[in-house]
Amino acid sequence: MAASMKSIVFLIILLNPLVAFPRIHEAIADSGPTPVEAAFLVRETQGHELIRLAFSEGRATREGPMNNEKADQRGDAETALDEVDPWEDDYSGSMDAIPDPLEPMNRAFFVFNDKMYFWVLKPVGTGYKMVVPEVGRICIRNFFTNLVMPIRAVSCLLQGKFDGFAIELVRTVVNTTAGFLGFQDVAAQALDFQVQDEDLGQAFAFYGIGPGFYLNLPFLGPSTLRDTAGWVGGLYLNPLDYMVEDFWTNVGFRTFDMVNRTSMRIGEYEAFKKAALDPYVAMRDAYHQYRLNQIEE
Amino acid sequence: MLCKRLIISVFVISVMGAAASVSMAGEPTEYIRKTTDKIIEILTDPALKGSDKDRERAQQIRKAVDERFDWEEMSKRTLARHWKDRTPQEREEFIMLFGRLLERTYLDKVEGYSGEKVLYAEEKVEGSYAVVAVKIITKEETEIRVAYRLKKKEGEWMVYDISIEGVSLVNNYRKQFQSIMTRSSYDDLIQRLRSKVEGEE
Repeated sequence: MAASMKSIVFLIILLNPLVAFPRIHEAIADSGPTPVEAAFLVRETQGHELIRLAFSEGRATREGPMNNEKADQRGDAETALDEVDPWEDDYSGSMDAIPDPLEPMNRAFFVFNDKMYFWVLKPVGTGYKMVVPEVGRICIRNFFTNLVMPIRAVSCLLQGKFDGFAIELVRTVVNTTAGFLGFQDVAAQALDFQVQDEDLGQAFAFYGIGPGFYLNLPFLGPSTLRDTAGWVGGLYLNPLDYMVEDFWTNVGFRTFDMVNRTSMRIGEYEAFKKAALDPYVAMRDAYHQYRLNQIEE
Repeated sequence: MLCKRLIISVFVISVMGAAASVSMAGEPTEYIRKTTDKIIEILTDPALKGSDKDRERAQQIRKAVDERFDWEEMSKRTLARHWKDRTPQEREEFIMLFGRLLERTYLDKVEGYSGEKVLYAEEKVEGSYAVVAVKIITKEETEIRVAYRLKKKEGEWMVYDISIEGVSLVNNYRKQFQSIMTRSSYDDLIQRLRSKVEGEE
């Protein structure tokens, strides 16, 4: 499908070495062992935690609320307990903001997506919801989720999350066979093997690549430079793009997936907008916080 | 590795089961559970069903929410450094307006309640602060992770922030308010807050 799309976005990424690449060199230079060596060394133990340690040098990570230093201070000054919010870190520092140099363009696309939702996606999704029963819609969602397993599996592998990788492989084998081509999520129900919430953007973040800057893309919605790169990389890992080569048929499948998912979430965007004073800023920050949280896990 | 994982999970589950039967959930969780149960009870009360009872139902939910949410603490945290520049009257006005906005947002969220399950996942307590993690399972089998942050005030655990899927409400509003105040002014913020609260009720 998106041969031209892929090359365009890769070009953008290549043109931005400042954003993406210096940091990964830094991370590798700091840590000594290469990713492969490090992965090999710790294969048997709790893989990803150790690799994370090896690569977190020089990279600002959010500290957990229960870190030792704080606990020590606590012991020293018990009387001051009331005054210290142990989760104060979450209200400052790295959580704070994401650069948005393309704000005018992003705001324009935000308006475009907003109109797309209210004029097209929502009416279509609502009609679709009335025609297709819930069970059917869940099955279709499961099918598409099962299909893009390679993206999650590779992202797990890149982060040294070998358990997650194994779970994804087992899930696909079980769901594709016993779950009728993935329409049933038997692996989650019978084995409690849940979908691993991983993507390439998170894998890039794991190697110390920052988000770059905020992007609000037409049709795709909120993203960042890094996450857009991850999305493009995902095109190479998505079986749909190998099975359905014709551009418009491919877009058709993606649209169908999108409409199906939207049919389960009608009302959420409306509520979000109703609660916000500046929906654009609210969306940008929510995306930022959401991704930080995903990356941390 | 999978085999090991399975054995470990079976072990963990059995230990957890045993532990759960011995100790109970902590105090903050109990506070959240009480309020949640109360709201679900109101929402499922047959005597309060129907659109003619909208007002009464909303009022009762409001009362239950007011008991547990610390609007002042939330306002303080969202205005952050701008809080200390405010006069006592301004603060009071802000707390009232922001509280009403949050209340309404919360009301809109729970009004659509249709038998979602609420699971109490985790609790962390440090001094007079606590986090209670909750999982909401929707009827479409999606899992929504919600975390309540609480602070102990006069012996009661009060909520000062909610995060949904890692997105903190206080942080999100702070960003919006900051952006509005940098572009224009505090007065403009109050005006927008007021028209939001009054316009759509």
